[in-house]
This record gives sequence, C-alpha cells and structure tokens, in this order.
Amino acid sequence: MPFLELQNLQKTYPDGTRAVRGIDLRVDKGEFIVLLGPSGCGKTTTLRMIAGLEDPTGGQITLDNQNVTHLPPSQRDVGFVFQFYALYPHMTVQKNIAFPLENIGTSPSEIEAAIDRVARALSIETLLDQYPRQLSGGDQQRVSLARAMVRTPDIYLMDEPLGTLDAEHRLELRAFIRRQQLSLSITAIYVTHDQEEAMSLADRIVVMDGGKIRQIGSPSEIYTHPADLFVANFVGSPGMNLLSGQIVQNGDNLTFTRPDTDIHIPIRANTAPAQVVFGMRPEFIRPANRGIPGKVILSEYLGSHGYVHVDTPIGELVMRSTDRFATGEKIHLHLNETHIRLFDPDTETALT
Amino acid sequence: MRVKDGVLKYGFVGPALVFLIAFNIFPLFYNIYLSFTDAELSGGVTQLIGGRNYGVIFDDTRYGTALRTTGLFVVLAVATELILGFALALALQKPFWGKPAITTILLVPMMLSPAVMGLYWNFILNGHYGVVNQALSVFGLFQPQWLTDPDLKLFSILMIDIWMWTPFMMLIALAGLNAIPNHLYEAAAIDRASRWTVFRRITLPLCSPLLFLAVLLRTTDALKQFDLVMAVTGPNDRATQTLSALLYQVMFRGYKIGLGSSYSIVILLIVIALATIFIRYIAGIQAKQGRETA
Repeated sequence: MPFLELQNLQKTYPDGTRAVRGIDLRVDKGEFIVLLGPSGCGKTTTLRMIAGLEDPTGGQITLDNQNVTHLPPSQRDVGFVFQFYALYPHMTVQKNIAFPLENIGTSPSEIEAAIDRVARALSIETLLDQYPRQLSGGDQQRVSLARAMVRTPDIYLMDEPLGTLDAEHRLELRAFIRRQQLSLSITAIYVTHDQEEAMSLADRIVVMDGGKIRQIGSPSEIYTHPADLFVANFVGSPGMNLLSGQIVQNGDNLTFTRPDTDIHIPIRANTAPAQVVFGMRPEFIRPANRGIPGKVILSEYLGSHGYVHVDTPIGELVMRSTDRFATGEKIHLHLNETHIRLFDPDTETALT
Repeated sequence: MRVKDGVLKYGFVGPALVFLIAFNIFPLFYNIYLSFTDAELSGGVTQLIGGRNYGVIFDDTRYGTALRTTGLFVVLAVATELILGFALALALQKPFWGKPAITTILLVPMMLSPAVMGLYWNFILNGHYGVVNQALSVFGLFQPQWLTDPDLKLFSILMIDIWMWTPFMMLIALAGLNAIPNHLYEAAAIDRASRWTVFRRITLPLCSPLLFLAVLLRTTDALKQFDLVMAVTGPNDRATQTLSALLYQVMFRGYKIGLGSSYSIVILLIVIALATIFIRYIAGIQAKQGRETA
C-alpha cells in the first residue's frame, strides 16, 4: 500500500479551465518526489489538492490509508511551504514558528524546545525576535521551512520554495533540504519548474505538461530515457537534439537519414525502417577529424564547458564541448551511436 | 517663455494656500483671539478680558452636562458602530448571491445628509403618527415617546447616528479584510488553526490598524455631533445638548461670540488630543508589524 496515492485526480475550475486532467501517482513513505513542468502544467494545482487547499473535481487522494480527497487541510497532517513564504506579518519569527504547535495544544516548554531545534537546523536563531518584513527573502523562506518542519507532518508539500531566491540562497537551501531529506527521510512532494533543482533533490521526478503526467522516473531515467518528445526537450539545458527523418535499410544495416542528404547514421537498435524523430543529448556529440561536416553558427561559453551550435547537412546540432570554437569555423562531428534515442513522430513517444 | 520651477511651484500651490489661509488658518487664530474677548453679536465695544471666558466655561453646569452627554454619545455610538460594522464586513467578506445589491443598500444611510436624516427620523419616531409606534401599536406593545421622553431622546439620536454611520465602519473594515492576503488564511489552515484562532490571531490583528483609523475618524466626527441634535430636539435640550449644540446655543442664540469661541477652542483641544493618541497608537501597531508608517 503506497503512503500517498493519487487516483485519476482532476481539477476543473468554474471557468472551465482544466488544470489537472487525471493524475495517477503512488508515493512511498520517505520518498522525495518532484513535480516538474512548465508553468501552467498543473503541478501546483496538484500539490494544492494534496494539501487540501483546492478541492478536486474528480478522482481520489489517499494519505496514510485514509481517503482525504475532500477533507480540509486541518484534517490532514501536511506541512506546506509557500512560494511567497506566507509568513504572518504581525508575528515575530518565533511566534510564526510557534503557531502550528500552539494550534495542536503543545505545551509551552515543548514549543520552546522545538523552536530551538528547528531554528538551529536552519541557522535562524538570531532572527527569532524579528518581524518577517525585516528579513531577506532567503531568511523568510528559512522561517517558512521552519514553520513547516517544527511539527512533524506526514508529508511535506513545497510549492517552488526556492523560486524567488537569488542563486546563492537557492543552492544553500537546496542543499539543506536534501540533507534533511537524507537524514530524516521525510516524505515530500516538491514542485518546481527548475530541472536542475528537480534533478538534485528528487528520488523520483514526475514530469507534467498540460495537466497530465508525461513521465515518472528517477532523475537519470528521465534524463537518459525520456518517455516522449516533450520530456526529451524540456529536461536538459539545452534539451535533446531532435531531428525528424527516417530509418532506411542500408545494405545489412539500418541507418538514420534525412531527405536531400547522403549522410547516414548507423542505428543499432532493434527497429524497422520507419519515419522517426532522432534524438541525442549534446554531450554525446564531439568534434572529430572525420564524421558529419558542419559549420559553427553559435558558440555559448559557460565556464567549465560550452555549447556549440553546428549547422550540418542533417540539421542543426548542439554539441557540449570543453573546447572553444569560432563562429563560422568548419568542423566535423562524431555522434556516439549507443546514445541514440528514437521517437515515433505521430505519438511522440519513445521507440527505444 | 520658460517659467522658473520655483515660480511654477507657487503657481500650483498658491490658490489652495490662499483658500487654506482665508478659511482655515485665519479663522482659527481669529477664533483664539475672540475667545479672550467679550465680543457679542449684538454689538458694543469688544474688549480683551484675558482668560475670563474659560473660567466661565468651567463654572457653567451646562458645560459639565454637555461634556458628559458628548462623551456618552461618542463612546456608545462609536463602539456600537464598530462592532456592527465589523460584523457586517465579516458577513460580506466572502462572495455570495446578491452580495453587491446588499452592499449597496447597506451603504445608503451614509450617503444621505444628516440634517435630512434628522427630519426623516423625526417622522419615523414621532410618538403619535410615527411608523415605529404605529407598528408597535399593531402588536399592542408599549409605545415609547422616542423624541420627548428625556430618558429616551439621547438614545434615539444615538440610534440614528448608528444607523447612519455603521455602513462607514463596514466599508473601512471591508477594505481592511480585503487587504489580508489569502495565502495567510491558507497558511493558517495548513497550521491547523481553528476558525476562532484565525479570527483572533490573523484577521483581527491585521485588520486593526484600519479599524483604529475608522474609530479615529468616527470619534472626531461624533465629538462634533450637532446636526442630528439640532434636527431632532433642537440645540437647547438638556437631555441631548452636546458640546457643539451648547456652543451653538451660546454663540448664535445668546450672541456671545467671545464665550462661544472659547467653547470651540475647548472642543478643538479635545479632538486634537484624542486624534494624537489614536495616531500614535496606529503608528505603534504598524511599526510593530514592520510596515511603513503612514
């Protein structure tokens, strides 16, 4: 029995917007799940339905063997971290953190001990007497995390908690959340549109688009074996190189090619001649003495590495490279054939 | 031709400044001057008599009575209006069918002239032919003499004032309630706060600065209560004589301009004192919440 189960969960707003169109998800205790998708994909609505902040218009939510589908938040044991902190502006940091404990009748001495514990964990001991308005965004989000963690709820729900922070605070808090997760093995659902955040935090990533789940899998599964073209393109920065063309019989071998070119890429996968979309991650392409000829049209330098956009007879390819190339430079590309991914152009789903 | 910024500045502010000086600043200081004279409307030579008028005020039993009447009126009127107005605002906080129409109807009393309202209520509360007593007679109930019974007169004026100004409190309270971001209620729901806790620890404290502002405005206004008294009982009824009514009686019925001026100065000082206390208090709350001070 999974700890949290969503069955055909749906949300249609009164204006007819179908934010969530039937979601099935099973989460085990201690799992850290990240809902990843572009804005408007329904990930936040899904999270808010799990919290009880939105009432589902269809489907069922089961949490810890209890059907909580239409229960108010107060009758589920959830902690929620809001994107914009949602701290009580008229209460000090201390009072903010104490609030959830006071509501369940915790004794003052226990409250004090609990505040002490989370404040230390989040390094906000010195801020306890301040008001939220006096704190930086990063510190406000720490307080918000503290407020959610001071009680030990069944499940933590986090709605883009790092979305509004600057890069430095984001990395720091991300590491903190990951450490907490590893040491306390909390069950958490975390919403983000930032794939790097999703990769670094998640046990499993749920990629969503258009109110539906596109793929559920570990970060490496999602990255190396995207289930469809959307995931292939959305995950990874830049996304996977995708070229539409066909697989043809070339002597004994199958090769991928495109019209108006005599370039053939050998395909080892067990497949048949067909129209396909050919996919390859930028890191599996490298410069070589021989191979596909091309001309550098754009070179992005990112410090430790860079991305080189190359115009070739089979289309534009992006290559990850530690070498630097000048715009206009003529080079040859080698494609690592073991990392070819093929997709059906009609269903957009993966073939290999 | 280019006009210099400095000249332009005074060009814009000038007219308003002239009006302010002519109709506010000058009368204020002239009033202070008059309060130290024995000026009378009936003529005669005006002489400076020092603080004697203020001595007269504090010896006058009418003054003490008017002060008590005004104080009672202010406290009862403002407190009732606050409670009723806030309750109505809470009821109107969530959308429901017919809310816009109900809100509009509730605001009507506030939009009418107090003098007209006084006359209107004179008819409604009239002991013989008023609607209220006619309704009571249908059910065979006791018919109070709302406007002539000395024990009831002030109560009647109070009722009219509450009827008129509760919508004002409601309006400001609604603004306060609407300014509370919804995510705080969501956070409180996640934090398992009961409805009462949400009201006591979220809604009320976050709404209170605006409520205090409404109380300040209503208090300073109620302290000057005059038009309803004038319309319902006239200015010289001991049961309902507020400070402003007494001032009117002294100044425009007794023609004692000097004495009347000193009355007005006393009222002004009371209003300023109360306003200062309130404003300090509101600023204190806002500073505590880390907001910009208004």
